Amino acid sequence: MPTYRTASHRILTGVLGAAAAIALTACGGVKTTSSGSDGGTYPTGNIEFSVGASAGGSSDLISRALAQGMAKELGVSAPVVNKPGANGALAAKELQAAKPDGYKIAVQNASLFTITPLTVSAAEATKIDSFDVITGVSRDDYVMATSTASGYKSVKDLKDAGKPIRYGTTGVGTGAQLASALTFEAAGVKATAVPFDGGAPNLTALLGNQVDVSTMQVGEAIENIKAGKLVPLAVFSAERIPFLPDTPTAKEQGFDVQVTQYRFLTAPKGTPEDVKARLLEAAKKTFATPEYKKFNEDNSLTPMEVSPEEVLSALKSDGTNFAAKLDEFGISLTG
Amino acid sequence: MSVSDASDPASQADRLQAELDETRPPHAGPISQLAAALVALAVGVAGAAGSYALGLGELTQPGPGLWPFAISVVIVVLSVTLAVTGRSLEDAERFSRSSLLTAGGLVTLVLLAVLLPLIGFEIPSLLLMFVWLRWLGKESWRSSIVVSVCTVAAFYLLFVVLLQIPLPRLI
Amino acid sequence: MDLTPILNGFSVVLEPANLLYCLVGVLIGMLIGVLPGLGPGATIAILLPITYGIEPVSAIIMLAGIFYGAQYGGTITSVLLRLPGEASSVVTVFDGFALAKQGRAGTALGIAAVGSFVGGTVSIVGLSLVAPIVAGFALDFGPPEYAALGILGVLLISSVGNGNKLKAVVAACVGLLLATVGRDTFTGAERFTFGSLNLAEGLDFIPIAMGLFGLSEILYNLEERHNKVASPAKIGNVWPSRKELGEAKGAIGRGSLIGFVLGVLPGGGATLSSLAAYAFEKRRAKQPERFGRGAVEGVAAPETANNAAATSSFIPLLTLGIPANATMALIFGALLIQGIQPGPQLVTQHPDVFWGVINSMYIGNILLLVMSIPMVGVFVKILRVRAAILAPITVLITLLGAYTVRNQVYDVFLVIGFGLLGYLMKKFGFEPGPLLLAFVLGTMIESSARQALLIFGGDPTGFLTRPISGTIFALVALVAVLPLIRTAWRRKAIRKAPAEEKTS
Repeated sequence: MPTYRTASHRILTGVLGAAAAIALTACGGVKTTSSGSDGGTYPTGNIEFSVGASAGGSSDLISRALAQGMAKELGVSAPVVNKPGANGALAAKELQAAKPDGYKIAVQNASLFTITPLTVSAAEATKIDSFDVITGVSRDDYVMATSTASGYKSVKDLKDAGKPIRYGTTGVGTGAQLASALTFEAAGVKATAVPFDGGAPNLTALLGNQVDVSTMQVGEAIENIKAGKLVPLAVFSAERIPFLPDTPTAKEQGFDVQVTQYRFLTAPKGTPEDVKARLLEAAKKTFATPEYKKFNEDNSLTPMEVSPEEVLSALKSDGTNFAAKLDEFGISLTG
Repeated sequence: MSVSDASDPASQADRLQAELDETRPPHAGPISQLAAALVALAVGVAGAAGSYALGLGELTQPGPGLWPFAISVVIVVLSVTLAVTGRSLEDAERFSRSSLLTAGGLVTLVLLAVLLPLIGFEIPSLLLMFVWLRWLGKESWRSSIVVSVCTVAAFYLLFVVLLQIPLPRLI
Repeated sequence: MDLTPILNGFSVVLEPANLLYCLVGVLIGMLIGVLPGLGPGATIAILLPITYGIEPVSAIIMLAGIFYGAQYGGTITSVLLRLPGEASSVVTVFDGFALAKQGRAGTALGIAAVGSFVGGTVSIVGLSLVAPIVAGFALDFGPPEYAALGILGVLLISSVGNGNKLKAVVAACVGLLLATVGRDTFTGAERFTFGSLNLAEGLDFIPIAMGLFGLSEILYNLEERHNKVASPAKIGNVWPSRKELGEAKGAIGRGSLIGFVLGVLPGGGATLSSLAAYAFEKRRAKQPERFGRGAVEGVAAPETANNAAATSSFIPLLTLGIPANATMALIFGALLIQGIQPGPQLVTQHPDVFWGVINSMYIGNILLLVMSIPMVGVFVKILRVRAAILAPITVLITLLGAYTVRNQVYDVFLVIGFGLLGYLMKKFGFEPGPLLLAFVLGTMIESSARQALLIFGGDPTGFLTRPISGTIFALVALVAVLPLIRTAWRRKAIRKAPAEEKTS
């Protein structure tokens, strides 16, 4: 091959490539999953579920269970795309910017809107106003537990022990940390938080007696509770939960602490009403299937399939409530 | 037995290493060594300043900056030592005209990353393959075109059709 | 010990359908292991819905197959393209790639296959016999012990590589510093993030590994003088010779043990075990300078250890309900979907699942070994491809693979950035290995040390008074001091030797 003509060729190729690139950018014709066209009744293409957590966590599993059911109902496929980062804020920011056409939706966590704002700057906090809530999904309760060897049976025992308590949490700015901090403050127990990176290391530390108590999601603790290796001290829901009927709530024990994690289905702000109605219908039908009900049961999730208004008011009251409680006790989650 | 046998592949390796070294640019002088040490020093100083600003706390309540501060201080100490003692080392390489090839390659990578979300992966990949084959690899026109088209097609098949990965794309 | 459930487990596995699922799992695992970026975690997540419809045992057998199939697949790219897919195969790169360059890729891959098989099998035997006992051992490891292990790990890093030691330590420290980028898990403070949400999550291992190793190698090789075209390395063999297997024998045995023990520890066990196995072999070798230049033991030890560790990481999951890593978390999820809660009661409530899964690993390992024999031959042919053609294909796999990690272009830029860093490091005589390994251990050391201090109420002597962490710290001291003594002793011997010559 002669090389004397390469220079002109190079320029030519470059110009052509650039022209093609610009032309295509102008069309904006890029897709990640084959999304629907404008014509026809919704949905005509795939609906992407984005998840702000890595694969395998409860947020991911719930999204997948819901996506699978809704895909069947809507007759399209519903790929789940994991975009973990910053407690879900990264995925939220992306959803916020997406076209409000119902082809990109997400199950989001309440904690992102109620607890995370307490730990980050106001500018960084994600606001629920940027989304349309379609329906509530389910509730994931927290339980405070201790190892059987410790001998504690209730929060009061911790207080009576009269020694500083070290408690494990699933991380800074999580419901687990908030619930324990508020409870210990209300009970007047001198306690130090030891944050772990997620549920598994927290559970390991508790089982190995590295910490005195730990607060975690019910699904993470339940099997060891059943096996008699852990003793549940309190749950933080309004009423006792069906998975642990013998465990009293914090409120019953005299501490007005109520912290739960719940999840709801969201779409970008401004999604057309008919699209939202169609999604809601599909979600409702999925909630009713035996497979989905079994999924909730197996993962210790309590259904919270409520209206968007209820979700919004719960978020609002939790947000102000938590901030007020932290103020009242003068504690800060960021240590 | 083991001693003589084991040394055989080792010496063979040395020979190969020497052969490979011949194709490399020559050693760089003490200035490069000093520059490298100073870059490391700068990283250490910046790290120390940044983590000091974060707050060091104390052992009972370590602040967010304590651990990075400790590491940064170690980097500072080590890079100063390196600057003083390591100038006569011969493990650095000079930049040469052929380093421009590397720079050119790097530019194509950045272009791909910029274009990927805008126009999908197909065209940028095709361009990248072609540039690397034709100009960085000195392949013939024909093989450059054939290989780049085939590769991108194979990737499409693998990532999009087979594994259904949500890669930005046109088709 | 009642052997009936174990034997029943075998009959479960040997059902043709389950054998098929095992084969499918191992094959998929190998395929995605070869693709950098897309790890076993993401694949299992994609396949999770498919498992809804099949029997629990079959589902888990397949998913477990993906997991250890991917371990072996990752070795292939580590050896051939210098692209480690997981933290636990970083160490394999050093000698594996060196062997490939010498045309001995077949040796490297074959040894890795044999080592993986032996390590895996030894680990399964261990799992069958002593799982409950070992599980207790994992619980004795609290934050202070992890901190101690991490420090021991960093110390071992300094023995990896052949370059200037001072530069290696500087690189390792930079790796530790990079690990602190992101939101501090203790205070929520943003460290070195410059306001970026992407950085707030911290830097991810995969893009850094792909940049520092795979991409930097390609960028570096672009500079090679083209007038003297390095002919593609001759492929001497596709399977290790008996002599090479003999050389690797000891390393494989020791690697199995190290891998099994450290793999039980949730979080970092597999990486630490490969590093420890490599460092141990190098230290006990008569000619440590062979390591990093294609020592057979340098591939055998870490590959055996990481596979043994991958297998024993099932112990905390199956006996305590603790997922040791992200992939285990997914298998946990898959079990949940099937209505099975992994935990202390698994072995009594679902013995068929417990033993079915364990015994499927015997079969899976045999399948893996049998399949890799022809596969090695196929993969080694990749090296016959001219570098000019192989390079852009690798670049493309790397960049697109980086995108698939989190579906973000940000990761692609990260790979390019670290590719440039790796290239510059090589130009200036720094090895990227210590940086990457220290990066992996960095978070573990910092969080564990801080958790330990919180538990001790700020009293650092706690590290030394706890039996296990105290022992590890003693070991740290030994590892740090031993080379100094050895050098001193050697100098003395050298001084003595000429003197003796004169007298004789």
